Amino acid sequence: MGTMVWLGFAVVALVLWGVTGVTQKLSTNLISSERSFLWFCYAMVALSAAVMVVARPHWGLGIPAVVCSIAGGALNGLGAWTSFRALESGGKASIVISLISLFPLLTVILAVALLHERLTWMQAAGAVVAILAAILLSLEPAPVQA
Amino acid sequence: MKQEARPPRVPLWLFWSLVTIVMWGTWGLVSKIASDEVDAYMNQLLFTVGIAPLLVFAGWKVSRAGKKGATGEKPGMRSRGVFWAFLTGILGGVGNMAYFEAMVKGGKASVVTPVTALFPMVTVLLALLFLKERLGRLQWIGLGLAFVAIYLLNA
Repeated sequence: MGTMVWLGFAVVALVLWGVTGVTQKLSTNLISSERSFLWFCYAMVALSAAVMVVARPHWGLGIPAVVCSIAGGALNGLGAWTSFRALESGGKASIVISLISLFPLLTVILAVALLHERLTWMQAAGAVVAILAAILLSLEPAPVQA
Repeated sequence: MKQEARPPRVPLWLFWSLVTIVMWGTWGLVSKIASDEVDAYMNQLLFTVGIAPLLVFAGWKVSRAGKKGATGEKPGMRSRGVFWAFLTGILGGVGNMAYFEAMVKGGKASVVTPVTALFPMVTVLLALLFLKERLGRLQWIGLGLAFVAIYLLNA
């Protein structure tokens, strides 16, 4: 049961981020990537304001936890910015995006090395297959010849 | 002595791609550490604090491009583009909260991150259904492998 709870939330994240793949494309087809990113950030601020009003955030936190959460936002945003830089620096989209799809591999390595997480053989195989799947999914199909 | 200009050993696109891997790969680690103490709501607030400097930077870039008249945007399309960007932020933010909650509920960073990194499977399915895009053979294989991965990671 406990497994299903975390997996449920992970699938919700997967679906919502998957939808953003389409909405982001619809946005950048119409406006610049900078303006799109700016309004993405405004939405984050609006969501945080809603969280402040609706939810009751727990304020009594240790400094390491606060630093890690703030770092999470900074790393996520900087990663988005550097991925744009990679695409603007002459990298082919199919190669850059496939390469970037390897980022969970670093998370797995860091979590095992620093947090001493243990994976079963099935989970380790699943992590490898997931990364391979993400790479294949990010490949653009070749244009159809007329 | 004059030296000949040599191309950089590491192409810029490769450098920025590797930096991206480090940024997003480390994001999973710090999220797991924070999830021991922080709830998903508080994390959303602090996450926004972390992204704030980039908001200022993006605002400056947009303002500068606007003054130069070099936005490259289609006239009359800005409000629709802004709507989709704002929706992307809301969905992405709620997705972040769900990702964080998965870790709060005991999901390992080494398992939750590979599962959520499969989000392109949803994007390609939606693009197939609504944008009438075609999938290549490798994308179909990737889609099949994504389901295999979710099964294995949940084993």
